Amino acid sequence: MNEFVLVACTILVLVGTAAAMLERDPFNKLISLAVMISGIFPFIIDRGFLDVAIATALIAPLSTIFILMVCRRIPA
Amino acid sequence: MLDESFRILIAAVICWLNFMTVDLIFKLPESGGVCGATAIAQEVEKGGGHINGGFMMGNIVSSPDASAGTLLASCGVYCAGLFGGLFAAVLVYIGNRICYDPGYAGTTGCITATLIVYGATQAGFAASDFIAGMVIAILTIQGISYVHASRLITRLWKVRCRLLRGCK
Amino acid sequence: MIAVYVCAGIAVYAALRVIFQRNTMRKLPFLNVVSFAVTGTIALLLPHPITIAAAAAYFVSSTLESNAIASTWTGGIKKDE
Repeated sequence: MNEFVLVACTILVLVGTAAAMLERDPFNKLISLAVMISGIFPFIIDRGFLDVAIATALIAPLSTIFILMVCRRIPA
Repeated sequence: MLDESFRILIAAVICWLNFMTVDLIFKLPESGGVCGATAIAQEVEKGGGHINGGFMMGNIVSSPDASAGTLLASCGVYCAGLFGGLFAAVLVYIGNRICYDPGYAGTTGCITATLIVYGATQAGFAASDFIAGMVIAILTIQGISYVHASRLITRLWKVRCRLLRGCK
Repeated sequence: MIAVYVCAGIAVYAALRVIFQRNTMRKLPFLNVVSFAVTGTIALLLPHPITIAAAAAYFVSSTLESNAIASTWTGGIKKDE
């Protein structure tokens, strides 16, 4: 993995984490978490862990869906 | 043969034409396939875009459509040749059913893209050009300005309705 | 091979657009661009047949997650009491 892709994925993770910390609205937090998780996949793939990547790709968004079931949008 | 950045731009135009044609034929801008797509369409319209463009952008977000099919077809041909692209078409079909989408836009787009990308690799392109080209194509539709993109999609939708019948 | 640079660069650009967009529903198209770009990066880093399955699994799950966020935002999912 060359340095450009390494830096780009690190920026994705850091920006997603910072936004998830600073956002107020729960949906915006979940979207920022999705950005953060997108950033870690190239690291897993680069090492050759394809089965770990498939498992993480199926588990991480499913956990977001379970969190969505907990926080419902309250009608204004 | 050609310079790599020039090849990527040509591949971007080819991918853009492929996924727009298949999505317009399958009537994606007509209505929202799942309720998430309708929500995005309404927000796009509130922000100054057109509702038909919003429906298509919402459908692209909510379910694997021809744009996803084209990208996965390019990845398939890059990793494993022609059969990789067909394997990607099977995965796109499964993904459509998982997302509650009863349509075939994704699978059709994937198969046409597999044939196009495989043919282009025989003619001097590299399959990686099509991967980068497809990402550039989706950036122009979803990633720059939803107002202008939705107006362009609506204009193309009206042309499609005049050429092929069958839309409200 | 500049295709990797294109995909990684577009991922960073779209992630910044996601963060700086105020309206929740309008963030979702930019998040979709991030998914496309990361899927392309995954495929370009390791050309192996199983990578197609990993890229497809990541992309479909990310799409399902965006769909779930959009549906819940409108109140579309039935509550299981």
